[in-house]
Amino acid sequence: MNDSRLSRRALIAGAGTAALAAPALAKLGGMIDLGLPGGPGLRPLSPAFPGKGEMIVQRIRPPLLETPMEAFAKGIITPNDRMFVRWNWPFPTEVKAAEHRVAIGGAVKQAVSLSLDEIAGAGEHVEIVAINQCAGNGRGLSEPRVTGTQWGNGAMGCAKWTGVRLRDVLAKAGLAEGAKRVRYAGLDVTLTEGAPQFIKSLPMDMAMRDDVLVAWAMNGEPLPILHGFPLRIVVPGWFSTYWVKMLAAIEVLTGEDDSHYVAETYRWPSVPVTPQAKDFPTVPITAMPPRAFITSHADGAVVAKGEPLTLEGFAFGGDAALERVDLVGTGRGGGWEIPCDLGPDEGGQYAFRRWSVRLPQVAGDFEGIGVRAKNVKGAVQPESLVWNRSGYARNVIERITLRAQ
Amino acid sequence: MSRLAILPALLILAACDSAPAVTFKDASITLPDDPLELPEGPGRDAVLENCTACHSPSTMLQQPKVSREKWEAIVGKMQKLYKAPIDDDAVPAIVGYMVHVQSQPEAAR
Repeated sequence: MNDSRLSRRALIAGAGTAALAAPALAKLGGMIDLGLPGGPGLRPLSPAFPGKGEMIVQRIRPPLLETPMEAFAKGIITPNDRMFVRWNWPFPTEVKAAEHRVAIGGAVKQAVSLSLDEIAGAGEHVEIVAINQCAGNGRGLSEPRVTGTQWGNGAMGCAKWTGVRLRDVLAKAGLAEGAKRVRYAGLDVTLTEGAPQFIKSLPMDMAMRDDVLVAWAMNGEPLPILHGFPLRIVVPGWFSTYWVKMLAAIEVLTGEDDSHYVAETYRWPSVPVTPQAKDFPTVPITAMPPRAFITSHADGAVVAKGEPLTLEGFAFGGDAALERVDLVGTGRGGGWEIPCDLGPDEGGQYAFRRWSVRLPQVAGDFEGIGVRAKNVKGAVQPESLVWNRSGYARNVIERITLRAQ
Repeated sequence: MSRLAILPALLILAACDSAPAVTFKDASITLPDDPLELPEGPGRDAVLENCTACHSPSTMLQQPKVSREKWEAIVGKMQKLYKAPIDDDAVPAIVGYMVHVQSQPEAAR
């Protein structure tokens, strides 16, 4: 234990009553306020984790670290030291590269156990920029609130991933007849005997895709342990629950996957539901919908009346390229929208993309303005939250208010 | 002379073409301590004994305010699904503690 570390309660006490009046995401003596409706929204920015910069500590063990929104203020790449961290179960804190193997079995022609060098030699090396986003990103903002990790919107990031195609790795074993899904597991282990292992699977058409990788590098560096050293699955456009870390085993299935994290959780209603609904059909949470964020101004920020105003931020299309971003709001004459200028396409269809919009003159307060992303498949962010009891796939238009002075 | 000099370069290119070099080194990390700081309250010992082996106090303390029935369901899920070795007799104390903590102002948690 580090005696100089301030306790959570000491930090909150130090913040005093200012915490209650502070705008969302304000920093308060080592704490950050995520502004979760009804609270509690205060989170510590400590303890520090090796290899990480300032992160919102949602849980120490197994770590749940959220990226402060300020890390998304510039560019499209989230640096490794700011990428969010999410583990379901504890994981080894030491991995010997020479001893690591990826076992491939199930419906294959020949079961194999591959070293890291054999994985790296399995095929062409591929680089892709893609967003890694937790299915529960923004869960803490759900209204009505739902239980689970109470993330703000920082359980996401965009990085360049390097690896080989999953299909090339599978080819080392060869698919047997009837192969239908590809299930995989990492080195993380359950805390209790008999609890479900964190294993996930992809349908075969996804597993065979050109851009689904077994990756070893993140932004040109070896994967840090917190991000799944030595290998993780990368599924561009799909939520990161499929991006299993510390990849150690692959099993080809001939039927459906009845394992807990596919068949029983990480699922959401296939029909709209109310908080009172019971016994509704569910489907696995898979592809990401579009989202957009304002990074130039926080909620409650003051802007100069009578002056021009430029708003900036980033957006993404989810499982398809971003088509457009609009600034939307409501005035006396009803709803209005102003198209935003998209920045250069720096990272491709699965990456963050910057946007900006210049307003000629600030006439008064901007109440509840937001930005709305639309992707090339036609998916557009909804006006109101698509509520579900797990808080998955939040993509309601995020709104802020700016005060003119 | 010039032929000999060019040969090593050709070999390197060929090697890159078939399998670009990736060097894997060992990795390790030292994770920070997880101080088990839970506010005082009835049932705190039951929570320390039954819950903190898996859960950081932060996880528990940061949940939105939910009903006693919801906490009972959550503890039940931990027993049945996650095979948490929780004594049935301890469940009312655990649930009572969570309800108590959630009734306190945020700054006291």
